[in-house]
Amino acid sequence: MSSPVDLRPYLEVLERFADGQMAPDEQEQFEERLLEDDALRHAHAAYEQLTADLRWVAGHETLRLRLISLDRRLNQRQDAIVRMQHQQRHTQNRWVAIVVGVLVLAMALWIFTRRPSPISATTWEQYYQPDPGLSPTETRADRRPLLTESMNQYREGHYAAALRSLRRIPSNNLGQDTLLYYTGIFLLRDGDAAGARTFLRRVSQQPDVPLARKALYHLGMAHWQANQLSEAGTVMAQVAADADNPYQQAARRVLQAGILQNK
Amino acid sequence: MAQPLAEVLTRLRVGNQTFIINFYQQQREHFTHWAGLNHQVEPAQAHELLRAVLLEFYDQVADGRLTKLPDDLRAHLYSMAYERIAAEKNTAGLPVVEASRRQRLLELFGHLGSDCQKILMYFYFRGYNFEKVAGKMGFANATVARLQKSGCVRTLYELVSRGPGLTAPDEEAIDL
Repeated sequence: MSSPVDLRPYLEVLERFADGQMAPDEQEQFEERLLEDDALRHAHAAYEQLTADLRWVAGHETLRLRLISLDRRLNQRQDAIVRMQHQQRHTQNRWVAIVVGVLVLAMALWIFTRRPSPISATTWEQYYQPDPGLSPTETRADRRPLLTESMNQYREGHYAAALRSLRRIPSNNLGQDTLLYYTGIFLLRDGDAAGARTFLRRVSQQPDVPLARKALYHLGMAHWQANQLSEAGTVMAQVAADADNPYQQAARRVLQAGILQNK
Repeated sequence: MAQPLAEVLTRLRVGNQTFIINFYQQQREHFTHWAGLNHQVEPAQAHELLRAVLLEFYDQVADGRLTKLPDDLRAHLYSMAYERIAAEKNTAGLPVVEASRRQRLLELFGHLGSDCQKILMYFYFRGYNFEKVAGKMGFANATVARLQKSGCVRTLYELVSRGPGLTAPDEEAIDL
């Protein structure tokens, strides 16, 4: 690379000429010297080659540095994107964890606070075999219109109204056992298990009364409705063991289901 | 890549490097994927390789060695990259080919201090006048910039005139 011409003695003047730093007179004289002075001409040519090479080097280095700088910027951007995605995932996971936690908490709260009775209430109704009530023939409608009306209301599901009608019947027009029995039945269907038990127990405890056996079954169901499951189980066992009880099969179904024993 | 190829060549020859910069920005990830998949090159190495290929391509255009751009420029650049990968694999340990005059000047340029390098790049590549160089470098005025530039050229010439195989003293950057 070293040029045969030593540029050092000429460098300053050649630079001033090339960079346009000479006054017009000086420049004119220099151009005339270039035509006459071989050594200066060779030095000028070598200088031109050096600066041309330098321009190439400067371009190459500029591009290299620009590419490195761009590379650094792209890396930073990529790192920022990765960091952002990581942060988003982290936030997302945190929210999912919070939502899952709240759901678990809500579920636990629901399990601990829910009332157990709805299941047994529903189960009681599923197994209950209702009394059909007295037919118009049995009530002798012409003589006991209030009893007939009460039974009709019972069959239509108006238990409170049926109870009111029943209570209006004069005591000499209806047997005591029948009155107690149906009062208990209507209260049971109306959801008043405690009241129903009082009436049904009195009927069931009377010996030699045909309604006693039926009353025992409904008493058992009233215990169940009141969530007195052990009493309900005992009464149902009595009914199931009594071959003369018309509700024997119904009581057996209840016992076979095993609901009262499990409770 | 939207520019016509002939225009790209012209712009590159007059020192407009935007095309190369844009190419690097747009293709870096694609090239990295390609190099990793086909030649098991790590991402950082792939980035360096693409920069080297683009520099070589730019030199070819600036030197006038490349007078017509290939139709598929990307394929051309990727094949240049492949040649570099293959050469590295096949020629390890071979004697280094003697550097050309410009390559030697490039090497010596790297021995200058960073201020000198900046001044010479501003003046000889960007075409800034002394006033602008002074502004960029934080010099008091254009005269200071001119004297600094002269000093840098002289230093570089002295490194050149020491002859081939000569390096800067103690491999340290020379600044004024």
